[in-house]
Amino acid sequence: MGKIFRYECRRLLWNKFFIGLAVVLLLYGAFVLHAVTILGVAHTAPFSPWSFGDYLSRMMPLLWIGMLFFLTFYTSPQARRTAILTDAAPMPPKQYVLVRCAAALTGGVLLSLLCMAEAAVFYGRMFRWYSWGSLLLPALVTLLPALVFALGSGWLLGRLRPWLVYVWMAVPFLLAALSLPEAFGLWNGSFFTAHPLTLGVLDPDFVLPAAVLAAQLLLLIAGILLLQIAFRAAVPPGGSITRRAVRR
Amino acid sequence: MKTMRLFPLELRRLLQSRLTWLIMALTVLSPVLGLVLYKPATSTTMLSMYLANPAIAGGAAGAILFGLLAIFELDRARRSRVDILTDAVVSPLTTALTRLLALLTAAVLTAGLTMLVWLPISAGLIGSVFTGVNFLLAYLLLMGLALPLGILAAAAAYQFTRRADLSIVLFIAFCALSLTVWSAEWQLCWLNPCVWALSDDFSNFRVFRSVAWMRLTWLAALAGVWTVSYLCIRQYGKGIFGSLARSVRRIYRPAVALALLACSGTAYAAQPFIDNSNPDLTVMSFYEIPYAEGVTFLSRSAQVFPDTDAGTVTGRASYQFQNTSGQEQSISFGINPGYTISNVQANGTDVPFTVSDYQEYNEALLEVTIPAEEEVELTMEYSGFPQESMPTMQGGKELSSEYLCLENSALSPRVMNVMPGEAGYPTTIEITLPASMIAIPFSSSEAEVISENADGTRTWRYEANSAGGILYAGDYICEQIEAGGMTIEFYYGRKHQAVMAEAGAVDAVKAVVDYCTEHYGKLSYGTGDTLKLIQSRVAGGGYAVDGASLLDEADFTAANLGDVQKGGGAGEVMIHELVHQWWGLGNMFDTVDSTSPWSAEGLTVYTTYRIVKELYGEDYAREHYVDQWQQAVDDYYLNYYVRHPEYLEMLPENEQLAISNSLSQVRQYNEMPLKILKAEQLVGGEEAMDQILHDLFNRELDPMYPYLTYQEFLDACHLTEEDLNLG
Repeated sequence: MGKIFRYECRRLLWNKFFIGLAVVLLLYGAFVLHAVTILGVAHTAPFSPWSFGDYLSRMMPLLWIGMLFFLTFYTSPQARRTAILTDAAPMPPKQYVLVRCAAALTGGVLLSLLCMAEAAVFYGRMFRWYSWGSLLLPALVTLLPALVFALGSGWLLGRLRPWLVYVWMAVPFLLAALSLPEAFGLWNGSFFTAHPLTLGVLDPDFVLPAAVLAAQLLLLIAGILLLQIAFRAAVPPGGSITRRAVRR
Repeated sequence: MKTMRLFPLELRRLLQSRLTWLIMALTVLSPVLGLVLYKPATSTTMLSMYLANPAIAGGAAGAILFGLLAIFELDRARRSRVDILTDAVVSPLTTALTRLLALLTAAVLTAGLTMLVWLPISAGLIGSVFTGVNFLLAYLLLMGLALPLGILAAAAAYQFTRRADLSIVLFIAFCALSLTVWSAEWQLCWLNPCVWALSDDFSNFRVFRSVAWMRLTWLAALAGVWTVSYLCIRQYGKGIFGSLARSVRRIYRPAVALALLACSGTAYAAQPFIDNSNPDLTVMSFYEIPYAEGVTFLSRSAQVFPDTDAGTVTGRASYQFQNTSGQEQSISFGINPGYTISNVQANGTDVPFTVSDYQEYNEALLEVTIPAEEEVELTMEYSGFPQESMPTMQGGKELSSEYLCLENSALSPRVMNVMPGEAGYPTTIEITLPASMIAIPFSSSEAEVISENADGTRTWRYEANSAGGILYAGDYICEQIEAGGMTIEFYYGRKHQAVMAEAGAVDAVKAVVDYCTEHYGKLSYGTGDTLKLIQSRVAGGGYAVDGASLLDEADFTAANLGDVQKGGGAGEVMIHELVHQWWGLGNMFDTVDSTSPWSAEGLTVYTTYRIVKELYGEDYAREHYVDQWQQAVDDYYLNYYVRHPEYLEMLPENEQLAISNSLSQVRQYNEMPLKILKAEQLVGGEEAMDQILHDLFNRELDPMYPYLTYQEFLDACHLTEEDLNLG
């Protein structure tokens, strides 16, 4: 299993596409950091958890797209045509799906780490600020639920119709255009700019209201459940994944 | 022949490649970079923001992308290790030429596609001042011609090195050179033309001509370099020099390369746009020329014939001098360096003259020796393409059937060393212009039509009294407005009519002039009866002389009129810009000090608030002005960098400047008006403040330092800086 995981990771991550995506991500990240984050949000420091969270929210649409692009390696018509061969491998289909999802998640996590590393370098170079520990919580609550949900939902949609994955890529842009309630503010980044202003103190510590936390947990659980469904839908070699999934 | 037969096949093959379509798609999308990321045109006109920047960004990105595509395509056979086979079938020279033609065709297709996609977007963003000619020229010159340059440069690099990696590095370095070191060198920045502004209301042919010149210079240069690299294409298993020796046997090939390189060199050296003025602006040696002994000025006249199609000027000037010295005298004139002087005669006889190579402040020195006769009539002819001095701010010498501005020596040779006679420098200027243009002398003089000519032109005449003089002409609309006890002639471009009508420009002018004249006094440069307000082509600022004042079109763009920082709506921003005639031009302010909120904006915003209060009532003014200032100032004091300036100081200079400029704007536009409002309360109300401002406006100026300072304002209010703290 470890061997297949390494193989899938290499397939996903060691190609021109990943390098191109990383370059685009880094360029966009540099633009956001220099144009927006440097000013700080809600009167807080550029390196506050709030500003950092805002930066990650702005990067989220690209990370979301990146994650879904990884899934297109498995859901594209070409991949489905070769499935008849890969499914012949002596490995349970569920494990194979698990390995592939883990590889895609690894790709998403690597891209996220790249964004975070870029921010860390930016903070160090600009402000000689190195207390990165305080940024882990906003990173975790912003990125993890969204990436897991992207993985679960993207996998299922791709199994139904490959083109749905591309349509799904537009979701973050749609959310950004909507005015969401505060509880869902992490889904479009408005939470980081609006919530600190309601706390009534200057440079507030990073706190998550229960409603926001619940919304993120809900997103995470939904992602895990969708993945669960994806594992269950996995079929032994020779079966049709789509037909089985639809029949259920 | 073989090339022409292979060309359709190569083009079809190229267009079947997914990479080609990806490059084409990215190029079509690339103008978006000019809207968000790369904005070399710094002016705020709509065409600068929504046409020049996207087109330049699209050109730069497209050239890089097509350059990389060219390297990829040229390297294809070698990469697949089939070059030995393909070279055996078709000569590598033929292949290279065919590939180049196919790539250039793909670039043309892409430029066309980009224009189709961006036409509706640009029209929507730019609004009523959008024109097809500007769009077409901008996308053809600023973007379209960049693509073949990229292809030629990259292909040449590959053909010289025959290695993809090395040629990519060379090509990227060449692009980087243009984007960095050469970015302010208008002839060298082949990728990103030096365009700082495009006018919304008037034509932009001067800028487009300059860009076209630069592009064609580079096109010839890179085509020449490509031809040399073509000669170096390896054949018959030979190395670079062996192949070169073989290729040059057909003599026309090196001849074409040399001809192209020579054309490019000539175009570079003989450019007609920019003069060679001394870059040290502290040197003013022309003003130190001693006056000609015993010579006085009686009168002068000039007949000026601008060629609005070619952008050139032809003219005849005549000067009457009285020479009581009894000797020959050398008379000095300043002339535009682009002009050629001919047929110089004194009292009907040819006289010697010289034109200096040295140039200063956009003038060359013409020296004419006049005879030792008491009455001398000196005549001369001049013609040429008026040159300008600032390569990074081109466009000032725009000359077309929509607009022209001829300043001093560009209008007619300017006398520099002759004492004025009893009547000063009496001048008569006649200028022949297309019928659609109105001549507007930048002074209190009025021009009148003296003849309507058969070729559809009209000749205008006006009298003035100066050794130089400025003339504006264009497709203007003139509104006569009675305000402040005088007649305001408000001239603005016909294309701007919709924007001006929407902003209520006439009402704004009337409101401002009435209010400011009543409260602060008349403008010092008004003649008492009339004042011309002339909207100029984008120039980076305005200026005033007796009887006329200039308004930069950039202040009246739809985007600027929507700037909430300056007013609650377009009409109020219009009021704001006009108030600058009193605070900014009528009373000048020194360069803004980043540590102080004091600038012309504070008093201008405050006066705008007072006018709006008078027009729309106190509640409206409070909601749209005072409350907005307060909100902005509250945010300013809470800003992290204001509370922790040590972090601002840590930033690199560019970032620091951008942030402090933005903070400084808040201070100028919001904090200062609030302070003035506080001062108003402390000095006893609006009437008392009006009296203070009236006295400040009409104070006696120190010619060495004519600026209104914060300290003068505080002293007039009998307050200290601390009194006006808002904390």
